[in-house]
Amino acid sequence: MRALVIDDSRTMRRIIVGVLRSLGFDTLEAADGREALDVLESGVQVDLACIDWNMPVMNGLEFVLAARANREWRDVTLMMVTTESEHGQIVRALAAGAHEYLIKPFTADAIREKLQLLGLVEWEVSA
Amino acid sequence: MSAAIDLASYAGSDPIFTIAEEVFGAMIDTEPETLREWFGPAPGFGDPTYAWVDVGGESPGRVLLTTERSTATRVTRGLLGLGPDEAVEDADFVDALGEVANVLGGNVKALVPDPGALSLPRVSHAAPDGPVRDLVHELLLDWRGACLVISVWSLP
Amino acid sequence: MTLAPDNFRWVVDLVRRRSAIQLEAGKEYLVESRLLPLARTAGLGDVDSYVRSIRVTAGLAVLEAVVEALTTNETSWFRDAQPFMSLADHIVPELRPAGGAGQLRIWSAACSSGQEPYSIAMVLSDLAVAGRLRILATDLNQQVLARARNGRYSQLEVNRGLPAPMLVKHFTRAGADWEVAPALRSSISFAQHNLLDAPPAGGPFDVVFLRNVLIYFDLATKRDVLRRVRQAIRPGGYLLLGAAETTIGIDDDFERVSLGRGSGYRLATRRAA
Repeated sequence: MRALVIDDSRTMRRIIVGVLRSLGFDTLEAADGREALDVLESGVQVDLACIDWNMPVMNGLEFVLAARANREWRDVTLMMVTTESEHGQIVRALAAGAHEYLIKPFTADAIREKLQLLGLVEWEVSA
Repeated sequence: MSAAIDLASYAGSDPIFTIAEEVFGAMIDTEPETLREWFGPAPGFGDPTYAWVDVGGESPGRVLLTTERSTATRVTRGLLGLGPDEAVEDADFVDALGEVANVLGGNVKALVPDPGALSLPRVSHAAPDGPVRDLVHELLLDWRGACLVISVWSLP
Repeated sequence: MTLAPDNFRWVVDLVRRRSAIQLEAGKEYLVESRLLPLARTAGLGDVDSYVRSIRVTAGLAVLEAVVEALTTNETSWFRDAQPFMSLADHIVPELRPAGGAGQLRIWSAACSSGQEPYSIAMVLSDLAVAGRLRILATDLNQQVLARARNGRYSQLEVNRGLPAPMLVKHFTRAGADWEVAPALRSSISFAQHNLLDAPPAGGPFDVVFLRNVLIYFDLATKRDVLRRVRQAIRPGGYLLLGAAETTIGIDDDFERVSLGRGSGYRLATRRAA
């Protein structure tokens, strides 16, 4: 499984990549929505995109809209990982086509559980 | 953000403290109960670090984190999982502190009605300049004995 | 002082025996952070000293507290997911086919801070039965029950296994927290209840959730609790247990039933003599 981590903060990319790798994902990174689209356009197979909202050049919402507009990428699971936490913002992101939404700050457990909900990580009986 | 945060409605518990606890507890320091409120006046910071984000909209404001540079370095280590002896690169320092300001700011802005957009974070060893501002709320934190100040300002 | 390997192994063994949960190597940090509050309450400065002391003399209550500290925090929403899907996709359509009348009564028998009963209400909210749903949520502990009644959760808590579409549909922001919307609360009542007592008023129930609480009891008590719970289930009704739990070997009056990709328990059908 391959994940694309999209966030303008290198720190945040590092943290998310660390968690995803421990869950068995290969990872790629992009610092904004435009770079992320470039990755998808290059033909690389991506199963999951973790997407920050506020980024320069192209923000996360714009990326979600672009990703969903392209039928070739319809199997990419789109999860927002963002500090935007108003009710209305979450509604907007889901309406734009995001599949899940994780609010910062988050724990590694929270990421795992969202990915379990999405069917990308197995349910298991362990602490 | 002058209309801002009606603390009376939170029944005595400071929502910004809750936010700080969540940020620290989830991402910076997983040992329980290491963040408390600081009692007494803020100490002077000999070598301060400032990290802030601005919130746009009809009542623009700023969420500012101020602390001693050495504390900011420890925050960076916590966030990046660096050991006590590992070097902290300047670029990592700026990025990490900026992200802390981003997460704090994003959560604080959700406390006010109709907040605007969040700016990109800024990190500096000089206090943010600009037009005179009103201090809306200030929270002093004690993290393992070190003081951090989260202040919320309204911008003209 | 960091946790010594033999003390870590002892804790792993304790947790596995009492909860079927396996802590892997590398989880020493988890044991240290979760047991530190217990160590401090016991007047000790570190987890290694604490484990060393409880290995020598620890009553059941202490051991339970240790297991709970390590297996809890699974107060996530839709814990293990499958039972909630089985409820919506199999149990409810069987017991209350759309267009049918009659209340659907569900007992969440160790509701803790409320995630389970609210999750039940959420997963059923779109079904025709939503208006006829009565959920009774009980727990022995008054403090967690008060939290459950409050229906107010931190941002970290709502990040835990709660699908975002459900978050926006059933919660509103309250300061830094999120609060369950009134419409969801209306089908739930909360009460204190001890599983060792006779079943609570409000039954008999169509479905009982008794998840991850039997693990804390010895065999005799498990039998006792299941016997009482059995009395509270309507014929044809279902019992749902935790992922690692079973009635097999404990209570022959239940039979395991497949429910899609999950399973539940029902009163065994008796053959004529």
